[in-house]
Amino acid sequence: MDEKHYEQLNETIYTETLSNGLSVTLLPKNEFHKTYGLFTTKYGSIDNQFVPREGDELVRVPDGIAHFLEHKMFEKKDGDVFNVFGKQGASANAFTSFTQTSYLFSSTTNVKENIETLLNFVQDPYFTKETVDKEKGIIAQEIQMYEDEPDWRLFFGLLGNLYPKHPLHIDIAGTVDSIMDITAESLYESYHTFYHPSNMNLFVVGKMNPEEMMALIKLNQAKKSFSEVTEIERYFPEEKMTDIIPFDSIKMTVKRPKSIIGIKGVGQVPEGEEALVYKTTMDLLLALLIGPTSDNYLRLYDSGVIDDSFSHGFSLERTFYFADIAGDTKDPETFSTVIKEILLTAKMSPELNREHLVLVKKRMIGQVLQSLNSLEYIANQYSQQHYGETTLFDLVPIIESITLNQIKQLAEEFMQESHMSVFYILPKGDEKA
Amino acid sequence: MSIQLTEGVNLHIIPTEKYKTVRIVIKFRASLDKKTITKRALLSSLLETNSEKYPTQTALRSELSNLFGASFGSSVTKKGAFHVLTLSLNVVNENYLTMSDSIVVKSIDFLKEIIFRPNVTDERFNQATFIREKENLVDYYDSIADDKQTYANLELQKLFFEEDDQKIPSIGTKEDLDEITEETIYHYYKKMLQEDQVDIYVLGDIDEVQLVKQFREFSFEPRKSKKEELFYTPSSVKEVKIKTEQQEIKQAKFNLGYTTPIVYLQENYYAGQLFNGLFGGFPHSKLFVNVREKESLAYYASSSLDNFRGMMIVQTGIDSKKIGQVKDIVTLQLKEMQNGNFTEEDIHQTKQMLKNQLLQSEDNSSAVIERTYSNQLAKNSIMSIEEWMENIEKVTKEEIIEIANLVHLKATFFLSEEVK
Repeated sequence: MDEKHYEQLNETIYTETLSNGLSVTLLPKNEFHKTYGLFTTKYGSIDNQFVPREGDELVRVPDGIAHFLEHKMFEKKDGDVFNVFGKQGASANAFTSFTQTSYLFSSTTNVKENIETLLNFVQDPYFTKETVDKEKGIIAQEIQMYEDEPDWRLFFGLLGNLYPKHPLHIDIAGTVDSIMDITAESLYESYHTFYHPSNMNLFVVGKMNPEEMMALIKLNQAKKSFSEVTEIERYFPEEKMTDIIPFDSIKMTVKRPKSIIGIKGVGQVPEGEEALVYKTTMDLLLALLIGPTSDNYLRLYDSGVIDDSFSHGFSLERTFYFADIAGDTKDPETFSTVIKEILLTAKMSPELNREHLVLVKKRMIGQVLQSLNSLEYIANQYSQQHYGETTLFDLVPIIESITLNQIKQLAEEFMQESHMSVFYILPKGDEKA
Repeated sequence: MSIQLTEGVNLHIIPTEKYKTVRIVIKFRASLDKKTITKRALLSSLLETNSEKYPTQTALRSELSNLFGASFGSSVTKKGAFHVLTLSLNVVNENYLTMSDSIVVKSIDFLKEIIFRPNVTDERFNQATFIREKENLVDYYDSIADDKQTYANLELQKLFFEEDDQKIPSIGTKEDLDEITEETIYHYYKKMLQEDQVDIYVLGDIDEVQLVKQFREFSFEPRKSKKEELFYTPSSVKEVKIKTEQQEIKQAKFNLGYTTPIVYLQENYYAGQLFNGLFGGFPHSKLFVNVREKESLAYYASSSLDNFRGMMIVQTGIDSKKIGQVKDIVTLQLKEMQNGNFTEEDIHQTKQMLKNQLLQSEDNSSAVIERTYSNQLAKNSIMSIEEWMENIEKVTKEEIIEIANLVHLKATFFLSEEVK
């Protein structure tokens, strides 16, 4: 078990990769009541074409299957896993993203039993025709709930424009039609391909003795047998810059129009520490340009183009990276025109100055430290293993090290009009389209 | 530790080394009154946006950035028969910074500026700020209508309560907002500052002596301590109030409102928590198991309590055509509770879940402050977690059945798909 101490933050992280390939990370925080365990597989909604573990040909699986699998893991022959956790005083949950599926519990008692339950239920699939069919109604309702959420629709509208071929544009839960094609057999096929310990990681944070915890996990894993560690072959369609759809819009029963602008990262997706530096540089760039301390923000807020819903983000995960800027606005056209202009002239922007950078860095460092109050946040960040050995705890020195020149250079490289796209949601009955 | 700064203004210090931050929360409390709810909501936005010393948003946000990204915000909520305006600020503990800058002291100075020196000239709020924040609040009202779950809840509330004070949302209404001017809002601000009950909470690893000294410099005047009733008891009805609305949506929302005799930390409280947990509060509850797991009718189906207003809400997201079936199941499951059709094991599991929930909330600084505030309002003292857990443990099956029989359906709101 490796031990790494972070002096300034007063935190110690323990890690070990077990012989079956499972990567385990422990972060004891004994002043907290709870223990939070997060068990993650690198399998998300984008992994819809792959070579199954027991096969040699590429298959294309129904949209939404990773999320469907997540739901079905909780049901066992002898009942619902929620009840097992419940009796042990734990609350449990799970979530599926573009690139991963995570299962979690948090509890203040029976921590050992709960860790075992977490490992055991995820490593023991049970799917039948009846249980699979029964779930379809529930997930159809979940999909329809999201279809009524304008911000979700806005975000996927943009992804559809930026990634018309890459499966990123597909809703994580799939569609009401696509989930009808899911069967017990297709769930087993995905399960056996992606739920091998070598494709998974376990993160435990909170009240614990790290030695005892690691011993418990090792013993649990040693009792089970798994097939050999093999590389998973995934397939993603090639996408050209000309595939980007520059603009689209839909109408919904909203009272306020919504506008979103995205910039697609093309070329090699950064990995490891480089990825974290890249992401942080981008976050600083966007904060300088349009964050709450920028003159741009004040000007747009005062003229009513943006309001408190205004937000910017940058996503960098396995196989993709993009920035997005969104908000409710009375005038979506002005919103997109002005923001585009700010982005395209970013390199020369007066906002990119030394003094402003000092201020924005201070804010960002403070926000990182504030986020460390949340065990859930720490665990979720850690389980995204795209950043290699670098972690949330390395972020403060990374923020401190980034220079204005690095930021300007990134602005020049990244902000290209041909990589941008705009999407609106307009109120039904509105004439502007 | 609690200290009276002046009559009606109290400072509460909760020392802990658990967090990497210090949280400061200031609560202004008044009786819930339709005439002032919207003013308080607008005031909350105005105070959060700028001040005399920080006259623009960028000036204000720059100061917060200088305080290492202190997160600062203002909000309004209903608490029983009270309306509460809350300013909160969360700032990094200096021990975790390489360059210490006495940022806690500066954060308190910042709050002092925000509270006592708003962006006002000649007894009027700054006109440009006032107009913009008024517009933003209107936009916010509109955006709530776009969130169907929230919308359905607010509509149910409108139907459930008889008095305007309780009917309207905590953020007020468009109609009331129209009548507010730069002057009337300033006058209300003065009134709030002079008359509201004020509670200040500071949680974290802090220098108490310095803290008390600094807050003593806040120029609050003494105000009469009000002994008004915190809890609101909704009246019962002979006939259930029913409302249906159609919209162009994919998923319908069917929400039900019940009157309950459950009062925070007082009568029926502990048995009430068990009742709600078993009925619709957890994944092993009757609503989740029957509406979702057995019949696949919904992704969510749950119940929740408002322990300050004697209300329970059941929320479901369903297919419009299935309304009849869902209604029957919800009705039947309440009957099952009333007839005691649940096991000792179910009760044990619910107790475990409730205790786990409370202990977990103690790991969140904001939840700790909220619990302390609620305790002080309801009992004038703080109940230890151990005592709370013992009380939960003592609840018997008979007590839960008794509560189930005292819960009565009062109103239902159905947001349906448009029938073409």
